[in-house]
Amino acid sequence: MIVRTANLSLYYHKFQALKNVNVGIKRNLITGIIGPSGCGKSTLLRVFNRMNELIEGARITGSVLIDEEDIYSPTHDLILLRKRVGMVFQRPNAFPLSIFDNIAYGPRVWNISDRKTLQEIVERSLHAVDLFDDLKDRLNDSALLLSAEKQQRLCIARLLAVEPEILLMDEPCSALDPIATGKIEELMIELKKKYTIVIVTHNMQQAARIADDVGFMLLGELVEFDTAKKVFTDPRDKRTFDYISGRFG
Amino acid sequence: MDRHFDEELQNVKKKIVDMAALVEESITKSLDALKNKDLKKADEIRDLDHRIDKFEIMIEDMCIELIARHQPVGRDLRFLIGTIKMNNDLERMGDHSVNIVDCIEYVIKSPPIEQVTNIWSMAKIVKEMLRDSVQSFIDNDAANAQKVCERDSVVDAMRNETIRILLTHMLEEPKKIESAIQYLLVAKNLERIADLSTNICEDVVYIAQARVIKHHAENEKA
Repeated sequence: MIVRTANLSLYYHKFQALKNVNVGIKRNLITGIIGPSGCGKSTLLRVFNRMNELIEGARITGSVLIDEEDIYSPTHDLILLRKRVGMVFQRPNAFPLSIFDNIAYGPRVWNISDRKTLQEIVERSLHAVDLFDDLKDRLNDSALLLSAEKQQRLCIARLLAVEPEILLMDEPCSALDPIATGKIEELMIELKKKYTIVIVTHNMQQAARIADDVGFMLLGELVEFDTAKKVFTDPRDKRTFDYISGRFG
Repeated sequence: MDRHFDEELQNVKKKIVDMAALVEESITKSLDALKNKDLKKADEIRDLDHRIDKFEIMIEDMCIELIARHQPVGRDLRFLIGTIKMNNDLERMGDHSVNIVDCIEYVIKSPPIEQVTNIWSMAKIVKEMLRDSVQSFIDNDAANAQKVCERDSVVDAMRNETIRILLTHMLEEPKKIESAIQYLLVAKNLERIADLSTNICEDVVYIAQARVIKHHAENEKA
């Protein structure tokens, strides 16, 4: 278990967005969080690298442990946490910089300035997302000229450049067509060999296809959490069955 | 596009081919044991059947999971549905193999009967049908599968001929009835194995070409 929450609740002012969530994320697996809009799945994801702290009025009770260390403890290094736990967003958010500089951005923040080292990192990161052969001759082109799928791949490469352990993905394919989605899903399956992935998706089929473990959320509650096989063949809770069978949501 | 799913389908295919190899081994060994009246082989056949049963449960489980998680369509759906049916057919063949070996005990106890050569010719064709049906599945070869189906009527005719010969034995020498009944059962089990190989071939045609050929469905449609 790399990430674990204990009686986690999260409030935006008086509104309770997460209700007593106890979840365990296993290392080197893809964990999918599904549920209808507004159920708290993105909120839960953002708890894992303290992104919710950017929202005014957000506060949590309970604890979030990574490798059994409470990431909300006052002494926890937030910068290091964001390096260990990277995030990919719904829309590719490449910086208006060259392909090279996009990927070198993180390492430079971590004071790596040696050109040769940066080149190695860029090359390794692009290889990991299967973009290197395609882009090796135009690393100085603007990243914004790439297709949406390649920009999303680039964003993942940008994360990998700082050698994270956990990749949080918030609807990473929602801006992509089905073919690009398939390619990103294949990439995720490849990446889980080295990283732990948590993906939030409203696309239930996507969770069914790629996730090893699946959590179903409803109204801030983690209704069910089990292997994808169990959830999609024999869900324990009637609310989960109703959702995955399209009876509501 | 969906490389991971394709790998999982290939894995299912590999498992069912492994299971088919065990079934073939079981049938071959049970027939050899019958020929040599070797009761000691019975446990080995039962052990093989146990392994075949385990394969059946595992393959069914894999197929259900893939259907639930990938919502397959078209050829992928036909492959998984066909595989579930084939899985069932192979498991039944394992049971028929045990039925054959169960006959040995009674054959040994009873007065000997002249070897029923028809049974061994029938067994040869039945084993070839199984092997060819599995090969047509591996190759996704509908044409070859249909050729295997045509051999089923040959086996049926041989079974009828075997019954006729055994009936003659029974009428001539009632003390041989016990043995003769056992060989009748063997013939029946062989005939069922041929039927199940035919089922597999019908599934191969369905997987490869989306055509339903069982129960002469195509002729009726026309």
